[in-house]
Amino acid sequence: MKSIVIGQYLPGQSFLYKIDPRTKLVAMLFLLVSIFLLNTIVLQLISFGVVLTILMLGKLSLRRIMRGLRPIFVLMIFTFVFQIAINTAGVPLIPSGYETMHLSPFSLGAALVWTVLWRIGVKTLRVRFWLFLAWVLGLYAIFHFIDIGPLWGTFDFQVYSEGVRMSVFVILRLMIVLTLSTVLTLTTKPTDLTQAMESFMRPLRVIGLNSDEFALIISISLRYIPTILDEANKIMLAQASRGADFTEGKLKDKIRQVVSLLVPMFIIAFKRSEDLADAMESRNFVPGKPRTRIHELKFGAWDLIALLFVAATFATSLVIAL
Amino acid sequence: MGIRFEHVSYHYVGNAKRPYEAIRDINLDIDAKDEFIALVGHTGSGKSTLAQHMNALVFPAEGTVRLFGATITAKRNKKIKYNDLRRKVGLVFQFPEYQLFEETVEKDVLFGPLNFHVPLEEAKERALRAIRLVGLDETYLKRNPFNLSGGEKKRVSIAGILALDPQILVLDEPTSGLDPLGKIQMMELFESIRRETGKTIIVITHDMDLVYRYATRVLVLEKGSLVFDGSPDRLFRRSKLEDWHLDYPQTIRVLKKVKETFGWNLDVYQPTCEEAFAELKKAVTK
Amino acid sequence: MVKENPRAKAGFLWYTMEADGENMIEVKHLSFQYTAKRKILKDINLTIEKGDWVAVLGHNGSGKSTLAKLIVGLLTPTEGEITIDGIAVNPDTVYELRKKIGIVFQNPDNQFVGVTVRDDIAFGMENLCISKDEMLRRIDQYAAKIGLSAFLEKEPSTLSGGQKQRVAIAGILAMSTDIMIFDEATSMLDPMARAEVMKVIRALNEEGLTILMITHDIEEALLAKRMVLLKQGEVLAQGSKESILKHPEYFEAARLELPTALKLYYKLKQEDLMTPELEATLWAFGSNM
Repeated sequence: MKSIVIGQYLPGQSFLYKIDPRTKLVAMLFLLVSIFLLNTIVLQLISFGVVLTILMLGKLSLRRIMRGLRPIFVLMIFTFVFQIAINTAGVPLIPSGYETMHLSPFSLGAALVWTVLWRIGVKTLRVRFWLFLAWVLGLYAIFHFIDIGPLWGTFDFQVYSEGVRMSVFVILRLMIVLTLSTVLTLTTKPTDLTQAMESFMRPLRVIGLNSDEFALIISISLRYIPTILDEANKIMLAQASRGADFTEGKLKDKIRQVVSLLVPMFIIAFKRSEDLADAMESRNFVPGKPRTRIHELKFGAWDLIALLFVAATFATSLVIAL
Repeated sequence: MGIRFEHVSYHYVGNAKRPYEAIRDINLDIDAKDEFIALVGHTGSGKSTLAQHMNALVFPAEGTVRLFGATITAKRNKKIKYNDLRRKVGLVFQFPEYQLFEETVEKDVLFGPLNFHVPLEEAKERALRAIRLVGLDETYLKRNPFNLSGGEKKRVSIAGILALDPQILVLDEPTSGLDPLGKIQMMELFESIRRETGKTIIVITHDMDLVYRYATRVLVLEKGSLVFDGSPDRLFRRSKLEDWHLDYPQTIRVLKKVKETFGWNLDVYQPTCEEAFAELKKAVTK
Repeated sequence: MVKENPRAKAGFLWYTMEADGENMIEVKHLSFQYTAKRKILKDINLTIEKGDWVAVLGHNGSGKSTLAKLIVGLLTPTEGEITIDGIAVNPDTVYELRKKIGIVFQNPDNQFVGVTVRDDIAFGMENLCISKDEMLRRIDQYAAKIGLSAFLEKEPSTLSGGQKQRVAIAGILAMSTDIMIFDEATSMLDPMARAEVMKVIRALNEEGLTILMITHDIEEALLAKRMVLLKQGEVLAQGSKESILKHPEYFEAARLELPTALKLYYKLKQEDLMTPELEATLWAFGSNM
């Protein structure tokens, strides 16, 4: 855990690292808007291509980015299924005669067996995506072709072209958005991002919001994440040594076990705040008083290039959309 | 029965800095009766890792750990109730006061036994016995643990583990943060527990004075390997303890200095101040 | 130089040093309590000279950490006064005074503010509105002094306790401090880390920094020049290391352990078995002189 850099930041040398975080935030905003202005699949694919090109020019590992997409894989599947099911516009894709699904004890039984085989396959073979595809196609085949035995019902399952188009569209957009944000967090230190946000928040001082303190709070919280994870781990081990089994048990037991983890964490956090306040105060920290900063954000040549590129992209999308 | 390590190794997996240090090819036999073992070694030598193998919190990457009849290897065995083993070997972490979380001392001490489904009446009896065993009286049971002093909190946490009635008690740096008198009181406590109940006590510590005074056996870890397993006396008779980042106890150092300076025939190997004095007295009155 | 404290309990003497140096810290009749029930500190009187290294010894609960916090103005005395370099410590002066005096606390994790070592050392200077270039210069200078130059980009979760404490020291030095207080700064460290930190403290004192070290570890205290023994919020004794060590009864009263060499020394004296050579050897060994 200790060697995992906070967030996903990985040090690097390419131009993506040289751009000021403020520029990156603004650029991301405009790029996202540009992407949302384009509404055909072809244009989305072109945008994705552009994003990937930027990635490669920036010497970022494609594998790492794709790994960043893993958390939303389930979301993507859900979107796909949802669109297919709901959307009845367009041309039917399953040829007529092939769309009837038969529900009978045999087909359901076969589906069950097929699902079990799928799960076993996933556990042993690890090629999740293809197995998943096989499962879906298999289910289709089972429900369509097995029409023996007492029929409990039939229904027509149809996939329409609009449904497929929309789902591809939405998934593409999701991927682009996520790739862009992964690029942002991969190439920008969390503290730099905080500073960028802080400088954007500065005008808010007029309504009493102190952007400086905000930035300090965020950076201190970031600094403590690995420490807190470590402590949580230690407390879990200590309570596990007293028989707390965080995986099994009735609800009542589980609650007590969670409490046995949370209460100590809170106590440690409170003690920490007290100690930290003392330490900061003794080092002349006065909330609200202006401070100099060791890290200053400075604009450079790359920022100009980036902003020009983004402006061009935005203008193009605007023109295409209108 | 007890604990047996057979060629046990544990190493980093993946990330370079896991919370566990590596241990290599550990072979060890610990009896469940009457031993007072000191586990020493520099920071990062693997002491905590070794301790956590003793109650199955961590599984060995290689080799076998035999805990009271259960065989623990790298692969998780569904037939073994690993949680159950934590009744037999109680592990008290460093700064155990941080594990307190209940409103009363009694409730906190009951946490352990209740996790093992010990009936409430019996659990309460155990809690009472445990509290007495750590040198506190019944009035502490109804008190709020957070209102106690540091030393009292440590004792309550230890009582929480004692209430499980483990046969082996492992304590990771139990004297951390205590003042000199507190340290001695704590070690006396363990010694009295051992005498009264016959349990085996294993203490991870850096304090060689305490080791010499209380331990019957010392295990020395150096960069993950077990380099010494024997009596404190034998350990301190070695000439190059610095290689293992260890210091000699004060009694030995003082007597050695006197011996060197005056050439007297002293037996420098005296575990306590009183015995060192007796030895000096003999030499002076000659 | 022995002075009897008229308010001290019978049998306890109170040594004071002749004030021949400038007084850096003066504590006069200091008392402190949180609630009406219990006084944490009772009528404390102390003087610490420039360049001094004073160890404040006491059992857990003797009030020594509270004393440290009072001196840097984190707490306000209930009675009495504290002066640093002639200036009284109060809410108006505390900001300026903290430029001269810094404190290293016990928990290495709970005083590390920065995301990296460099950021943490910079923290105090940022608060003092020091320019960026000056900050970078001082960081390099003090990091080199403390042996942390290779660590400047490291994050606290990758550092050991001893390293974190050294970062704290560097951060305070960077504010051009004259006085440093160590509030049990080594009690959470293992022996190697402790030695690391003590080495730094010794080097700093040799360069003229005034050190006030709060501890319950006699071996650490033996490195200092003067000692103050606290018990239950009162000063039992204060004076040079030699003069305090000559009174083992203080140590017993304060629940502190003398080093073995001195325990043997006193046992031999008690039974009248001491010889001059043995005396010299044991004394030198035990008092680390």
